[in-house]
Formats: sequence, C-alpha cells, structure tokens
Amino acid sequence: MTQLTSLLRRWETLLLGILLAVVLFNIARSPFYLRIENLVNVFELSIEKIIVALVMTFIIINGEIDLSVASVMGLAACVVARLHADGVAMPLAVLVALLVGLACGAFNGFWVAYVGLPSLAVTLAGLIGYRGAARILLEDKSIGNFPDWFNALGQQPLIGPFPFALILFFVMLIAAIIILQRTAFGRYVYVIGNNKEVARYSGIQVQQVKMKLFIASGLIAALAGILLAARLGAVRGNTAEGFELDIITMVLLGGVSIFGGSGTLTGVALSILIILNLRNGMSLANITGNTQTGVIGALLILSVLLPNLAGQVRSLRNRARPASPALAQVSQGMETSGSSLRP
Amino acid sequence: MRALTRAIRPEQLREITLAMLIVVVVLFFSSQIQGYLSGRTFNRVTTSVAIIAVVAVGQTLVVLTRNIDLSVGSIVGFSAYFVGTRLANDNTISPPAAIAMSIGLGAAMGAINGALVAYGRVPSIIVTLGTLAIFRTILVDMSGARTVVVDALPQWLKDLPRTNLTQIGEVDLRLMFALAVLVVLLFQLVLVYLRFGRQLYAIGSNPEAARNAGLPVQRVVFIAFVLCGALAGLAGFMFLARFGTITVVAGQGMELQAVAAVVVGGVNIFGGSGSMIGAFLGATLIDLLEQSLIRWLRVSEFWRDALLGLLILLAVASDAIILNRLRQVWAQDSMTTGSRPAK
Amino acid sequence: MRPNLHFARSPIRLNVVTPESRGQAPILEMRRISKRFDATQALNDVSLTLYPGEVHALLGENGAGKSTLIKIMTGIHQPDAGQILLDGRPVQIHNAMHAQSLGIVAIYQEPMVFPDLTVAENIFIGHAERNPFMRWGQTYRKAREILALLDVKLDVRMPARGLTLAAQQAVEIAKAISLNARVLIMDEPTASLSAHEVEQLFKLVNTLRERGVAILFISHRLDEVFSIADRVTILRDGQWISTRPRNEVTSELAIREMVGREITDFFAKTPAVRRGELLLSVHNLGKAGAFAGISFDMYRGEVLGFAGLVGARRTDVGLALFGIEPADSGEIVFEGRPCVISSPQQAMQLGIAYVTEDRRQLGLSLPQSITANITLPLLRRYAAAFGLLNFKAEAETAERYKQQLSIRAPNVRVDVGKLSGGNQQKVMLAKWLNTKPKLLILDEPTRGIDVGAKAEVHHIINELAQQGIGIILISSDLPEVLGMSDRVLVMREGRQMGIFDRAEATQERVMAAALGQSPASDEARPAIQEVTL
Repeated sequence: MTQLTSLLRRWETLLLGILLAVVLFNIARSPFYLRIENLVNVFELSIEKIIVALVMTFIIINGEIDLSVASVMGLAACVVARLHADGVAMPLAVLVALLVGLACGAFNGFWVAYVGLPSLAVTLAGLIGYRGAARILLEDKSIGNFPDWFNALGQQPLIGPFPFALILFFVMLIAAIIILQRTAFGRYVYVIGNNKEVARYSGIQVQQVKMKLFIASGLIAALAGILLAARLGAVRGNTAEGFELDIITMVLLGGVSIFGGSGTLTGVALSILIILNLRNGMSLANITGNTQTGVIGALLILSVLLPNLAGQVRSLRNRARPASPALAQVSQGMETSGSSLRP
Repeated sequence: MRALTRAIRPEQLREITLAMLIVVVVLFFSSQIQGYLSGRTFNRVTTSVAIIAVVAVGQTLVVLTRNIDLSVGSIVGFSAYFVGTRLANDNTISPPAAIAMSIGLGAAMGAINGALVAYGRVPSIIVTLGTLAIFRTILVDMSGARTVVVDALPQWLKDLPRTNLTQIGEVDLRLMFALAVLVVLLFQLVLVYLRFGRQLYAIGSNPEAARNAGLPVQRVVFIAFVLCGALAGLAGFMFLARFGTITVVAGQGMELQAVAAVVVGGVNIFGGSGSMIGAFLGATLIDLLEQSLIRWLRVSEFWRDALLGLLILLAVASDAIILNRLRQVWAQDSMTTGSRPAK
Repeated sequence: MRPNLHFARSPIRLNVVTPESRGQAPILEMRRISKRFDATQALNDVSLTLYPGEVHALLGENGAGKSTLIKIMTGIHQPDAGQILLDGRPVQIHNAMHAQSLGIVAIYQEPMVFPDLTVAENIFIGHAERNPFMRWGQTYRKAREILALLDVKLDVRMPARGLTLAAQQAVEIAKAISLNARVLIMDEPTASLSAHEVEQLFKLVNTLRERGVAILFISHRLDEVFSIADRVTILRDGQWISTRPRNEVTSELAIREMVGREITDFFAKTPAVRRGELLLSVHNLGKAGAFAGISFDMYRGEVLGFAGLVGARRTDVGLALFGIEPADSGEIVFEGRPCVISSPQQAMQLGIAYVTEDRRQLGLSLPQSITANITLPLLRRYAAAFGLLNFKAEAETAERYKQQLSIRAPNVRVDVGKLSGGNQQKVMLAKWLNTKPKLLILDEPTRGIDVGAKAEVHHIINELAQQGIGIILISSDLPEVLGMSDRVLVMREGRQMGIFDRAEATQERVMAAALGQSPASDEARPAIQEVTL
C-alpha cells in the first residue's frame, strides 16, 4: 500500500492506542466510568459538537475551513428561542431556524465557491457576524420555557438509554463514512482538497461541491444548535460560543490535514472518542471545564507537533529524501485554500 | 489609466482607498449626526483605536509571512491581568518596569507560538487556536476568578489614559494614541527599510523560494511571532491603563478585531503584501464605522459584531475582485511592455 | 535526426577548443561520487570536471542521476563517497547557502521569484548581507547595472508578479551574476521557453561563458545541447558513461548512450494522411486578451499540430475548446452541429478531451492512486446502486490502460505522484482516453519526459489517430510537431499565421511564420483563408 495511506493507518493506530490508554485510565480512576449512564453522558455533553465535527471533516478535507459553525449554532438556537418567545409555534420556529442555518451556509458558500474568497476570511466574518445577529435577537436576555416535547428531545432517552441526538449522530456517522469513502462525491471532496485546479481540469464542478458542503455545514450546525437549545432548556446570546475550537480540534486530531486532501472519518471518530473520554475522565477527577479546554488546546498542538517531530528525527537519521523542488510543498503557514487572492 | 495602474502598487492603492473611505464616512455622518464633527468624536475613536492598532501591527507582521496569530486576545488579557495584579500588590513598581514586564510577558508567549510554528512546523492556525485556549486557561486557573480593581492600581496608571501630549481646542492628542501611532510608523519603517521587513514579504510571497534562496525562514517567522506577542503584551498594558478593572475575560475576541483590521487594511491573508499604515487605517475605519453607526441608527451595541462581520467580508471581497482585475491589467501590461528581455 | 536546428542555434563557433587543451585549471571537480537512497543507487562512482568558460552539457534519461548530482554540487545532499574539489582544494558543501557563498549557483526549470518583491530585490535576495538596513538606491542601481550587462530591459522597481517565464529566468541569471557565480547550474532552463526566448537565453549563456563562468547545462532537447555546449557528459542509471567534446558527439550516439539501446523510431513518422470525415470546424474563434481570428477544419484521424513560440496563446485555444476559458467570439461546429462550449462538462459531453501541459499542477491528483486518477472524469459512471462506487470496475479500467499504454508501476493502487514523468503522462492520457474522446487536445505531451517515454507517447498518438480520433497536438518541440502532424497550424501572439500541409511544413517556414516573418505571414494575413466550407 502507498506510504501516505499507511502513514494515516499508523496515525489511526496511534489514536486507538491513546483511546485505550484514556479509557483504561478512566476505568482505573473511577468506578462510575463504566456505567451506561456515564457512557451515554460522555457523548451527550458534547453531542452537538461531534455532529458538526462530521461535516467539518468534509470541509477541511476539501481544503477549506468553516470557523462560523459555532456562531450558526448559536444563531439557530437564538432564532428558535426568539420565535418561541414571540409566540410562534415551536415546529415552525425549528423550521425557520434550520432555514436560517441553511442560508448562513449558502452565504458562506457563495463567497467561497463562486467569488473565490478564502474560506478562512469569509467564515471568520461569519463567526463574528452570525454571532452578532444572535446577540441582536436576544440581546442580554436568556430565553427558555420551551415546550416539554422540545426539551425532552434533548434531555430524555428515546430508545433504551440513548437520546435522539446520540442516535442521530450514529446514523450520520455511518452515512458520512459511506458518502466520503464510497461515492463519487466523496472522491471529489478529496480531489478538490488536494488541488482544485486538477479537479476543474477533470470536468468536476468544483463550485457546486464546495457550495453543497457549506450549505450542509450551515444546516447541520443549525440542527446542532437547536439540539443544544433543547438539551440546555434555555438560550442566551453566547450559546455555543467558542465551540469551533473543540470541533476543529476533533477533526485535526483525527489526522485530517489542515491543508486538505487527506484524512478519514475513522480517524475523526477515534479522536472524538478520545476527546470525549478525556473530558469525562477529567470531569470525574474534578478538573474544571476551563482546564479541560486548555488540555484540549494542548492536544490540538501536540497532534500535529508530535508526528512532525517524529518525521524530523527520522529524516535526521537518514538525511536522504530525494525531494525535487517542485515536489516540496509549503509545509508551514496556512494554505487552507488556493485563494484567488493569490493567482 | 494604464500609466496610473502601473504607478500605483496594490497596497498603496488600498491605503489611498481606505483614507478616502474614512473621509467619506466622516463627511457622511457629519451630515447625519448633530455635533459629529467634534473633538469628542476624535477623542473617542483615537482612544479605542490605540489598543487595537498596536495588536494589529503585530498581527500584520505575522500575516505577512503567510501565518496567523489567533492567540493575541489571550496574550492581551494575560498581560493586562498579570501586570495589573503585580501593580495592585506593589504600587511602587516604576512605569518602565511595568511596561517592560508586559512586553516581556507577551514576547515570551509569542516565542512559544513562534517556536511551535517555525521550528515545530505546526501550522500557525492550529498552534494559535491551541494557545488561544491554553493561555486563557492558565490565566483563569492562576487568577482564581479574582478581578483586578481600579482602586488598587497606582495613580500614574490611572492618569495615563487621560494624559495628553498636546491639546488643540477640543481635540486631544492622547499619549496612548501617540504611542500607537509611533508603533505603527516604527514598524512601517521596519517593513520598508530593514532587511528583516523585506524577508517577511519574501517568505509570505513564496515560502519555498525563500528557503531555496537561503533566507533564514524559521528565524524570521519566529521573530515575527515574538514581536507579535510583545506588541500584544504592550497592548495588554494599554488595556490595563484604559480600563483599570480587569477580569479573566479581558481581551477576549481581540484576535478577531485584529485580524479584521489587518484584512480590511489590505494585508493579504495569504501573506506577501500589505502595510502597517494599511492595517492602522483598517482599524480606524472599523472603529469609526462602529461608533458612528451605533450613534446614527441608535442601534444597541449588540449590532457591533454583525456589522464587523459584514465589514470584513466586504473588505476581503473588494480586495479579491478589484485587485484581481487590476492584477490582470498589470500582468498584461508587463507582457506587452516592460518585462520582456530586450532583443 | 535533425541536429543543429535553425531555431535554436547560437552563433556557431567552429573551432571548439576544449578547456583541457587550453591547459586551464578546473574550477570544480566532482571525483568518484556515489550516493544511495534507501534501495536505489542514485549515483555510482560518477566524476565530472568543470572548467572556467565552458558550457558543459549533462545528458541522461530521467532517473539517470542528474538531479542527484546537482543536489550534491549545491549542498542539498551529501555524497556517500567521493570528493568535491573547488579550485583544486577539497571542500565539503554543507547546504545551498554555503554552495552559493562558494560561487556555485543553480537555476531551476521553474524560476524561483518572489512575486511581491521588486525585480531588484529578487536579484539580490540571496545575498547574506550583514547590514540590517536596505539601501534602496544602491540596490536599484546595481540591479540596473547587472541587467544592462545582460542586455535585458526590465523595470527594476516593478514587482516581479506578472513577469513572463523568460523574464523570470533573466532575473535568475542576473541573480547568479550578482552572487559572482563561478559555477552556474542550469536545470532544464529551456523547458518552458519558446524558441525565440531560448535564443535570448543562449545569448545570456554566451555572455557568461565569455566572463569565465563554468556552466553545467541540462536539457532534454538535444539540438539545444549541441548548439550551446562545449563538452557533453552522459549519465545512465547513476553511472558515468562518457564525456566528450561536442563535435565528437552525434545525436544518435548520445541517444544510444543515454538509453543504452538503439531507438529506431525516435520521431515516429506519422502514417500518410488518412482523412476521415469532418470533425471540427472553428471559424474566427476569439477571446479578448488572448487570441483572435482562429479558423480551421479538422478531420477524424488527423493530427493537427499547433506550433508557435511561448506567448503564441496556443494553450488558450485548447482551453477554449475544452471550455475551461471559453471563447467569447466566433463559431465552433463539432460533428456538423454548431455549439457553444462554456464548461469542461459540455466539452466532455461532446467528446472533447484536453490533456494539460502541466501534469503536476493541473493534470493529476498526485497523492491519489493511478485508478482514482484515470476514472476521475467519468467517476459518476462507476456509481452503482445508491450511488456507491464500483471499485472493482474502476480497478479493471485502470488495469486495462496500464497494459495498453504500458504504464510502469507495481500496481494501479500506487500514488501517481510516485511515478516518473513519462508514466504520469501515460496516466493522464489514460484518464482522457477513458472518456472515449472524438477530439483529443494534447498540450506539450512530451515535455520533461525522457527519450524512451517520448517515443512511446508518439506511438500512442499515432495509434489513436489510426483509430479515427482527431488530435490537436500543441508542442514547442518543433521536430516533434513537424514529425507527428498531418498539418501544422502556426500561431503568433494570439493570431493564426497559417496552416501548412505536412509536405510544405518545413522548419524554416513554420519558424518564420511563428516569428511573424515573411513569407508565411504574407500568406496568412487573411486569417480565414484556410477555411474550406
């Protein structure tokens, strides 16, 4: 098999090892860990993030990034809350919120796919702008008192001990794996992420693919935001703020290249499990949420730093790679998209 | 037209456009808002621009090398809080020592970023997304959620924000604003007249060629991050002086404001082009628009973020569309004239 | 063989005086160098000597060890065994910077410019200046001086963005002079240049030679090598084969030594014109800022060559026909139906395929397998129930082409990026043949691939034409385009200068038309004249 995929394989093996270590550590530390309630809880506390991480995986493999997801989550939640407070029927409110998410995604996608702006800049504007819209809707109020069925959606188990969101996540995970690995669309996502000019010269409709991805990202982020509102039972202007950090960390720790073109959902699924179990373990050990965030940040850096260092050690041992100057890729700096700013 | 487009370089064009835009904005609002054209408006804008301008200068250094520093907000907060605590505990610390402390602290944090990016070869967006969380975490853990209060600070610091360099009628030239302008001009000179400055452009322009030409790429990128951190540290000190009351969330979101200023200021998010003057004008325009719009529309401050997001998008879009068009003209121009080897 | 082509000839210097015979001391000696990468012996006991004022050509197929040798000379790699002597003294070259400070400078095929820096800065960027301050006045003045020395007119204050390749190369050479290069390594500097620009480049090379610089010149174009080199060294499979004065080397000899076998059909003769029915009629096609007035007919089974210098905008015509950069005026009639081609999807539906000149940046997804690359344009056809891809069918397609085009790879799952240039070219051909094109546009299909692979590609082109596919062959390699085409369309700066039948397409005529000189340009003035409707 080729080196690249075998490297990824090795990366996934490494993730599996880390996961086992974390799980074993948690089992040893806390008797509560293996209880089914706790295991469901492991997922439930971050369920919205991991749903969004799935679509973020597609976007980063495609060579783009969507920094606005957390703001879209917050905005969708605020739309539901505000409409509910204004007396709109809850199902309608949910529908409108989903449409708002879709519109946000389409807006991002339009600028990235059709105008050719760098997604980093566009979604940074979205991150700020959509959050701003959420704040306009709720100002500094907190709105709750949702109908029971809505709260139950986020808080009560649906089948067995599993709540709706968790079931949804697993269905989406399987669907995502199939789409990414087994369909033409998935292949396009990789090829475009790798080099979108090659895709264009192969007759692939690059703009459509990118547009679809951003629309999906907006829609799913909105769905996640609504689920978050249901689980929390109340919404504020800053709901879901900063979630993008966790979401991107999950994807990158899973071995997806920030430059696009490579990565697998298997890796992302493993990294999600690691992060969730780590957080759970830290919670069981009474480590505060703030410190947990710091640990996740460190994990994000280490997930890229360690393979680099390993690579450097290896290349020091045999300083011998015949690398042609044309082959040498920009290995540092951000090249998240082949921007039209740089023809 | 041809002659004109060839006489002006992209970043100069952007500076001129920004300056004209600022004039237009001022003229427009002075016709809409009574008493707009007053010393008070000037003072208000300069006071709030001063801090963000210093951060934006640092950010520009980093962005020029095709990197980004998202951790500056945390560095500002850390520096403000840490120095604030020290000053509150010991009022005898001299002003130079306090400033040196804040700059040194920022530089140290910038050095962590720089080392990871330049020598660890981790993409800057990952590193600084991580350190954004880590620095904040350390701050929160260290502080035990206590707040620095104004009253505990030494008198000279409390007086600093209202200290004027000169005063012309209603218009005050505040010391802090003068300091910011000094920093902008100093680093503009660095960009044009120091080899280091040119190397920043070279690296952002073509990283691979920079390595092949034997430029000290790693060192230059490292220094850019250290300087960026140091400037964020200085901004932290200014933040402390201005607000006095410092909580653990101080400076949060400042990274986005800085990136916005830089992007609006015409610094290419993919490196290689831009100027300090541009970034400064970008910061000024954003602040001016924010403050004016809030006064004009009588909208709440909750509109701020939404407007900011829109502004970034507009800046990037105009950049891409207008500059690409111009670059085509330039390219054609150089093909038909100037740049062909003589027969 | 056609040695010493008119278009690439520099002033002929009849009395070749070898540096040895002048009794000069060599500048750089590579003695018995060996280098091993993992399983491959890249260089085995190779020696090379460079004298001041000589142009030394280095020939060899891809993988012969040329690049490795250069990289050892410039300090990028360290030799496992052997010795490097500079001015007779052994040296160890630590890195590229160190090589530069020793006066050893390399110029690559793709010039390394900084688009956002000025021309002057680009020239002086590599200088390890101690002074932390820029001295702009001095920089500009010195840059102007060096460019004047080379007789190159460039505005030194302009940003380098938008310079032509040739201008970029002039900047690279100016850079080398500014570094006081004593040994200049030119790695395929002409690969992307038009014949006219090659001539300019060779003038620069001659200037440098007269100044006593030793030049190591690497090119796949033998005629160029023979017109510029004083001595020729040939490598094969990491071994030194020969070093001879130029006048003792013939093309046949060089090719035999490079490939280690006789190549009889180096430029495969095309079969006699076998015109099928009319396939494509282009009438007065134009695109603002690129080309105008392009008119031609082409028939099934015909190879229509597109000749011209770089900047002739031949590729733009290809891109317009494939819908990447659609034309904005004129008519296209394909298989008797007028049509507008505004996207690659449309072009593909009509049966038009375009094989790009830039394999690495535009043609292939390098980290993906041979299979994935070949099936890419038609991927949706491989989707079965629920849109799931049929991996087996994909692999079968790839295997078929691997055999048909003899793509050399362990299996079809190998990443394309790991293949040699020639095999990558074949994968790209397979990718587009799989779309069953009626019209195949080949843009520089043999650029940068070795002699053996080149012959194979020529074979494939012939076979495809036999099968009735219409082929547009865009090539800067004049012997190739003349040897392969039934007719040759010549372009110059976006204009059609004429269409020549095989019989009348001599190098002189085609070249004259490409340069815009008589007599061809007289014939071509009404650009529509060739259209037979």
